[in-house]
Amino acid sequence: MNLQSVFDWLQGWPISDAIRQSSWLFPTIECVHVIAITLVVGSVMIVDLRVLGLTSIRKPVSELSWEVLPWTWGLFVVAAISGSLLFASKATAYFADIPFRLKILLIGCAGLNMLFFHFVPLKTLRRWDQGVQAPVIAKLSCALSLTFWVLVVAMGRWIGFTIQG
Amino acid sequence: MLHHFAVWLAATPVSMFIQNVLWIIPTVQTVHILAIAVVMSSVAMINLRIFGMAGRSASMVQTTDRYVPWIWIALIVLAVTGATLITGEPVRSLVNPAFQLKMAMLVVAIAVTALFQVTVKRHAPFWDLTPRSVGAARAMALMTFVLWCAIAVAGRWIAYMILDYAS
Repeated sequence: MNLQSVFDWLQGWPISDAIRQSSWLFPTIECVHVIAITLVVGSVMIVDLRVLGLTSIRKPVSELSWEVLPWTWGLFVVAAISGSLLFASKATAYFADIPFRLKILLIGCAGLNMLFFHFVPLKTLRRWDQGVQAPVIAKLSCALSLTFWVLVVAMGRWIGFTIQG
Repeated sequence: MLHHFAVWLAATPVSMFIQNVLWIIPTVQTVHILAIAVVMSSVAMINLRIFGMAGRSASMVQTTDRYVPWIWIALIVLAVTGATLITGEPVRSLVNPAFQLKMAMLVVAIAVTALFQVTVKRHAPFWDLTPRSVGAARAMALMTFVLWCAIAVAGRWIAYMILDYAS
């Protein structure tokens, strides 16, 4: 089974066909996708800026993370499902698209960076949960996270200029 | 009238410059979306506080002080990037019903945000949620969030309404 047959299979789904035929289905799913992404990126910013010591500094990092990140995950699932539907409607075209590939790659980078943050700097959280003295490696990871997510948004917008709706 | 202005604006050197440099519109749109991310998540954090689902260790006044200034900063960025996009694509935006609806809803959202910021400080106990006030505060919070979502939807729909005006 090669990739093209997977794409053909995705594009053959009834929902994919409906998205291609309808004048309002694609923009509606896209709106859900965009709103979910803005909330994912905004909530990630809130936590990253806290670790960097720039905002919410009266609150422990752990408390803010517990309040914000479950929503981030929920909304990421919404963004992933809506994004997958848009992808399925024109899988071959998206897969061939450079900004789309870069976007997926950058989401992967953001995920790996998150795993790194979880398993390395977060192990010593007890020492820097309060105040603004997170270790350099934690701050570096959060600065990278901000960079990756900004670029994910940029690539997402760029897709709109390379794939005709 | 508005259409004439849009056509005139499209022919100005500054508009031509924005149209002719390929990367300007996608880049400015990216900054616009990032500022929307700041507004949406700031409004969401205030709402979670009002619903008692996050940030309960902070008072309403503290929560407002933390997030409302970011809404104003992001709105300035949105105004500047939005004005750039209008200048670059005046016919696509100004005479577009999705754009016009977006601007009308935006005026309401800005008024509600300003009113909220003022009343939180004046009536701190109301916002710190006595059982009597909790329903009204939550209803307002929910409506505001729906309004911001509707503004984002109308903004995205500008790209789809333009098709009717292209010919």
